[in-house]
Amino acid sequence: MWNNVGQSLEESMDRVVNKIAQLLPAILAFVLALLLSALIGWLLALLVRRVLTAMKFDRRVSSGSTSIAEWSPNHTPTSLVSRSVFWGCIVIGILIGLTAFDASYDSSLAPYILAYVPKVVGAIVLLFVGSIVARFLSRSVLIGAVNMKLQYASLLATGVKWLVLVLTTAMVLDHLAIGGLIVDLAFGILFGGIVLALALAVGLGSRDLVSRSLEREVNRPLEQPLEEKLHHF
Amino acid sequence: MANLEAAQETRPSGDTAGSADVLIGVPAPTQGTLLHERVADIRDEFRSTHPSIRCVVAYPGIEGTGELSTLSEPAGELGSLRAVEYTLSHGAASTVPWLGLAPAYARLADLAIQMGAGACAILSPDLAAFDVHSITLLLEPLMDGRAELTMPLYAPSKFEGLLNSGILYPLSRALYGRRVRYPLGPDFGVTTSLLTRLGRRRARGTEVEDDQAAIWPATEAALSDSIVAQVHLDGRHGAQNEGLDLPTVLGLLVGSIFNDAERNPVVWQRVRGSQAGLTLGATVDRIDPGAKSAGALDVRSMLEAFNLGSRNLQQVWALVLPPVTLLEIKRLGRLTPEQFRIPDALWARIIYDFALAYRLRTLSRTHLLGALTPLYLGWVASYAQEIANLDAFAAEQRVEKLAKVYEDEKPYFVSRWRWPDRFNP
Repeated sequence: MWNNVGQSLEESMDRVVNKIAQLLPAILAFVLALLLSALIGWLLALLVRRVLTAMKFDRRVSSGSTSIAEWSPNHTPTSLVSRSVFWGCIVIGILIGLTAFDASYDSSLAPYILAYVPKVVGAIVLLFVGSIVARFLSRSVLIGAVNMKLQYASLLATGVKWLVLVLTTAMVLDHLAIGGLIVDLAFGILFGGIVLALALAVGLGSRDLVSRSLEREVNRPLEQPLEEKLHHF
Repeated sequence: MANLEAAQETRPSGDTAGSADVLIGVPAPTQGTLLHERVADIRDEFRSTHPSIRCVVAYPGIEGTGELSTLSEPAGELGSLRAVEYTLSHGAASTVPWLGLAPAYARLADLAIQMGAGACAILSPDLAAFDVHSITLLLEPLMDGRAELTMPLYAPSKFEGLLNSGILYPLSRALYGRRVRYPLGPDFGVTTSLLTRLGRRRARGTEVEDDQAAIWPATEAALSDSIVAQVHLDGRHGAQNEGLDLPTVLGLLVGSIFNDAERNPVVWQRVRGSQAGLTLGATVDRIDPGAKSAGALDVRSMLEAFNLGSRNLQQVWALVLPPVTLLEIKRLGRLTPEQFRIPDALWARIIYDFALAYRLRTLSRTHLLGALTPLYLGWVASYAQEIANLDAFAAEQRVEKLAKVYEDEKPYFVSRWRWPDRFNP
């Protein structure tokens, strides 16, 4: 019996060693692909940066109030584009590197994981963009509402932020094909619920509050003469 | 006025080749019929006071809005006053109706060069300063070489031009060292060469968003080391806020002065203190309509806006202001309306911190300038209460005191500009 056990262990070890031996060239190929793509990406990013600087890209793109600079104020549009080129090359390098595993690793799991990687990358991009949009819109609503003297400015901004984040999360889950119909249903119910709750709150619960608020708005011009004495410009 | 004639007579004879000696330009859309009426009104007076001066009044017509029209006397006739319309593209008109933009100045400079005019008077489109006396005051120092830019000094009024009194004037003065009370105009006199520079101002910039940016004649004069004079004008501009909301105009004007600061750090970092410069004309005494009823001034809505901002915008302000300033703002939020006063030093530092955040792009510039509005309203409430019982002259002294504090606090700004990452409690 011990002989059988020993033989089985030896066979298992052989299989593990074989797999590792098959995997090592793939790892090497992966690292090589990554290094090469990083090098190409760096060169391309450098080229793009120089071309865009020569074209005065920052100046051209910064026109208008909804420019790239508004969404990502810490970086110039040129640096954003060149960085995107660099990281795009890195992502392509990773995908190419992963095909080496595909050739060397004959498990049925590999194709599935490989097919899933682009979705994960897309989901990360979605999440990233969604969080930036949520922050930007939330801040826009907050400042706009404060300047309009709305007492519930903070609540409004938080609502917008979470609305965008929830929407982003639903999109990410849908993109990753996690949850299937459940996400769609849950999201529909959640959104529908929020809208219904707001409608009921405004229509029934806060009827007096809304009417008082509207009355205040209607009566506001009567206060104007006092402020008319001040002219800002 | 006699000086204007004398100066004209001493000019080289070659200048007579042009079709005008001086150009009066309106840089923003105005009512053509009103302008024609005003030209007809002052034509005789102009001819009698300036018989040897040929003057052209240029006003803009927006492209595609109709036929160009000209009200003219024969070109080249001495003492003539002609009105001509020039085309201005839609994009060259500002959101703020009384503000001239670089394309309009460039067009007017081209016209002045074509006509051989050496001096120009730029007037607000409401034509409040369109009279022979004001035009002479603006042009005379330019014609006799005493100045290259004449800026207006309007009769002091306590509760008007508060944005200018609280931010634009003191900041401009502290940065560039020139005491120009109204650094943005809107009425000013300028030599053709300096006007050309104002028109080119956009091309030297780094961002196209400058298309709508205000052009600061006083700043350009400081940058080119031109001589600036201030002249007392009697013209009174009506309320200029029709159809405009405060955050928009505040963002536009304050944003543009911050933008200028970002462009010219080498210039303003070397400037210490300020110089008064030449002041011409007699002081205009005017009864301030707001003065008598000042005691009844209601600043509650402005304080509400400040307190609302203080409650909701702490996170945004924390990105811009140091902790000690935030603490001060919180403390102010707890004061009663009667006690509410924003110290000058605190206000100056707030503006400097916002200017720095504008340069560093700590957050979106639209958000940044939007977040300044409640603070500005707080300052207005504080200032209005402080000067409520003062006369216009004393209120003017109060503005001068604030401007001096801006100058005193400038080392703070320079230090933060140079080392923005240094610990700032």
